[in-house]
Amino acid sequence: MTVQKKQAPAAPSGDSSFVRKHLLLIIGAVAGIIVTLFVTNTLFDGSLEKMTDTPTWQNVLLVNALVGGCILLFVVELKRQAIRVLLTVIVALLLGFLVTFVFNLDSADRFRRGEFRAQVISDAEPIETDGVDLEYNKRRGGEFNKPNVVAPVSEIAWTFAGSEGDVVSLLAYAKNRRSDVNVLVELRDASGAVLEQATSATARQVEEIFDDLVSVRDAVIEGYTLPADGVYTLYSRPEEIDTGTVLSEALNQSQLAFEALLLGPIERVNRWGVWIQDAITLILLGMSFAIVFRAQQFSLGAEGQLYFGALVSGIIALNSPHVPGVILIPFIILASATAGFIYGLIPGALKAYLGANELVSTLMLNVIATRFFEMVLNFQLKPPDAGYVASEKFTANAVLPVIVENTQVTIAVFILVIVVLISWLLIRRTPLGYEIRIIGSNLRFADYGGVNSKRTIMLVMAIGGIVAGLAGMHLANGIHRQLILNISFALAFEGVVVALLARLNVLVVPFTGLLYAYLRAGAQFMERDANVSFEVVRMIQAIIILLITAEALVTFFQARQKRADIDETGHAVESLEGADV
Amino acid sequence: MFENVIDGIFSAVFLAAILRVTTPILLPSLGALISEKAGVLNIGLEGMMLSSAFTGVVVSAYSQDWFGAETGVAVGPWLGLLLGVCVSLLLSFVLALFHLDLKGDLFLSGIALNIFGSSATVAIMFELTGDRGNTSTLASLQMPFIHLPDFINQIPLIGPIFFDIFNNQSVMTWIAFVGVFVVSFVMYRMPFGMHLRAVGENPEAAASVGINVKRIRYYALMISGFFAGLGGIHMGMGYLQLFQRDMTAGRGFIALVTPSLGGGTPAGTMVASLVFGFFDALGIRIGSLEIPSQLPQSIPYFATVLALVIYALQRRISQRVSEMRTASGAAFDAAFWGSIQRISILHMLLMMFAVIGVVTSGAILSAPNGFGGAETAVPAGLLIGVVSVALFVIGLPFVTDIFRIQERWMASAAVTIVSLGIYLTLLLALFFEPLLALAVALALSALVWWMIGGRVLMRSGVSNA
Repeated sequence: MTVQKKQAPAAPSGDSSFVRKHLLLIIGAVAGIIVTLFVTNTLFDGSLEKMTDTPTWQNVLLVNALVGGCILLFVVELKRQAIRVLLTVIVALLLGFLVTFVFNLDSADRFRRGEFRAQVISDAEPIETDGVDLEYNKRRGGEFNKPNVVAPVSEIAWTFAGSEGDVVSLLAYAKNRRSDVNVLVELRDASGAVLEQATSATARQVEEIFDDLVSVRDAVIEGYTLPADGVYTLYSRPEEIDTGTVLSEALNQSQLAFEALLLGPIERVNRWGVWIQDAITLILLGMSFAIVFRAQQFSLGAEGQLYFGALVSGIIALNSPHVPGVILIPFIILASATAGFIYGLIPGALKAYLGANELVSTLMLNVIATRFFEMVLNFQLKPPDAGYVASEKFTANAVLPVIVENTQVTIAVFILVIVVLISWLLIRRTPLGYEIRIIGSNLRFADYGGVNSKRTIMLVMAIGGIVAGLAGMHLANGIHRQLILNISFALAFEGVVVALLARLNVLVVPFTGLLYAYLRAGAQFMERDANVSFEVVRMIQAIIILLITAEALVTFFQARQKRADIDETGHAVESLEGADV
Repeated sequence: MFENVIDGIFSAVFLAAILRVTTPILLPSLGALISEKAGVLNIGLEGMMLSSAFTGVVVSAYSQDWFGAETGVAVGPWLGLLLGVCVSLLLSFVLALFHLDLKGDLFLSGIALNIFGSSATVAIMFELTGDRGNTSTLASLQMPFIHLPDFINQIPLIGPIFFDIFNNQSVMTWIAFVGVFVVSFVMYRMPFGMHLRAVGENPEAAASVGINVKRIRYYALMISGFFAGLGGIHMGMGYLQLFQRDMTAGRGFIALVTPSLGGGTPAGTMVASLVFGFFDALGIRIGSLEIPSQLPQSIPYFATVLALVIYALQRRISQRVSEMRTASGAAFDAAFWGSIQRISILHMLLMMFAVIGVVTSGAILSAPNGFGGAETAVPAGLLIGVVSVALFVIGLPFVTDIFRIQERWMASAAVTIVSLGIYLTLLLALFFEPLLALAVALALSALVWWMIGGRVLMRSGVSNA
């Protein structure tokens, strides 16, 4: 991970036009505007009326404009690397689709199992006979291939008695719309010879003649005249599924799942809110990692710092029900930032002054923080009569004010904008930021150049802690509005991906955070709508990390690119390999 | 109640439990050791353990369907072991491929594998069982347990104790401890081991004498994957008899520290793993006391952080002493500096206890309801806190600068004896009257100080004066 100071591409020769000079800016602006419009349009089904009817629609627009702004920053900051980030995400999504497809290979199984009914319909006089299974016009049912039973029913052969000349119709069908079982039906005589067979029903039979039938997958033998008196058999079993059906079913289901993944989050305003509120947490965590990784410190302490931030802000919120929000909220923000700062200072000091491996120490401190949080919550904050482990709901004055109704999109949006600005100033425009970057690129050089690297390493981890503490505050006082167990839900590692996708550039983190939160929100709706496990998205995440760090994957591409750059500008500009990850 | 815990700790059953819980730490630790020796620390151990545990459990469960109940029960665990280790090897190959050939960052690729292991197991578990937490619906099997022959029990004196500790341990436990010897043999007695260490110490030099650095690192990563796989198998088919979501619970990360705590040798790694096993088993046993379970649960993690600190401090001290040795040449007094080093380690251990005291008091004060109500818990917590902070403050000067032990040896001796005395009093008060315990403890502490090097210090201190 060599973190390099980015050089602006050398300015093209003087006679180039305005468009050429600001090409990236224009591309970014156009992309941003398009996405803003697309999201807003999908959200309100393209109707202006629906938009203006929605309460606080102006704020929805504002947030969407900010989303557009993030895209502008992404394009302008990452330049050609932006293409690689997007390609990586697309490749990972395709691989995820493949996984979903494999998981869905069993979805055709629903045609082989489920509750069914069978009956023989006839206007003829029934014969009184003992020892048969069916009577005319009486339904009988069962369940084919029930999972997890000792002897599942795989076929039935039910007998009925009939006399010569009876006109009978044999039906075998799914019990109701919940059952997709696809059956066939046969009429057999006493010797077992098949007299008639059917695998499906016509649309007319389903809609007009037989009320019981649900779909054309049900099987009907209509109007068969029995040749002689005697006992006949109604035989039925699920039809065999061919490979084509299996594949097309799996494909259909996977498509459904990915539709939910890719379009679910912008279907309605409340789903959109899930996306944005998740994005705020992820962006804060991503900022935390981006700052720390910039100095080549592989600290994964954000999770623990998040827990401490959440705990401190939660305790303050629970203990001050009468303080006006105008005073309380800034105080809570400050307190959670301080908590994160202190908990980040510990591994920072251990690394800087004792050389303790920050990766291991932060992972251990994370567990300690989590356990500590659980203990305090369980024994101190939980109301004694509560059925599950959670604190009381915060009073309204301690909850971050909501800016879009029916969602939990709060003023955290503005806090986030400020955090991004400050981080950018810190990294790019202050002496400390310079020291952080120089330590990240070469520690020995930094020491040689007179940088107090110990102090800087300690500080950078603590600063990362501030941002992570704010993320905890947002989770506690913005989203959950109470303290709950497992409040972070392993979000911290997702922050690593956000920071990496952004190539540790604090101005790009908002975009990658939005992108990743979009995938996460989509995964929730995918699980709800298409019954595909949420974890598939975490697998996609792992693939993204592998692909984005594998520099040699683009070697051949980059070799050509480098030559082109030299030709164009006379300078070798930073190539794709200079990826600062 | 407390006495029960103490009695329990000094029993053969507890020692057997230590071996059982050490196994899933020791196996990946051996893997981490080998990968670290080759200079490519395998961060992905956790993900590999999870994948292999899951594969083992699922294969052992389904093998009963594939081979019939009887053959399945006999063959299943071993087939699970084989396939589980294969999956783990495959993942470590992917890691090696991405790091060594595709030039990906080792740390981040390892993290990616951990995420992959954790998510893929849950996703597939959900597909197979419809459950997201564990595989309790699958009839999975366990690796066989080794029964010792009965005559060992008949050996007088040590026989029964030995029998109690080692009888009925999982075959994986035996594999783990035999593995220590195998790794030791490979590392120090075979050409491959020498190449491995050469590559880790100086890849350029190794390459210059014709060692294929990349190939050795491939092997190292895959061997670490192999051991992680074995560790995972023990988690799913020995330690428990099912797969649980994220069941390794950070053992793959603890395994990253044990080799460096153990001085980079297989035997040292084993000892460090046993220490963690001890804390783990202790945590389980303390769970029977009426204190929040979170406190004992976090002991191993806390111990890791402290161990890192002590390791770093101690390394720095040895460095300074060896610098001094080179500087002063023949005039270097080895016995004297040896005593200083030993005393400084004792200081550090005492500081560690002080930190544990501070944290305990912090825990008590933050959640007094968990410790029997605010009336008793708050004063107790405050007392522990004040005493611990005081012991910390008086001990600090001697940890930050070892020369102070020499210059102000009487103060150092007093600090050692008082701190050690207080901790020993707490322990001895279980067996004796408080005052007697205090006297015995102080005498014992003074003796310990005298034994580990105080006498040398005293002599030189008196002669200097």
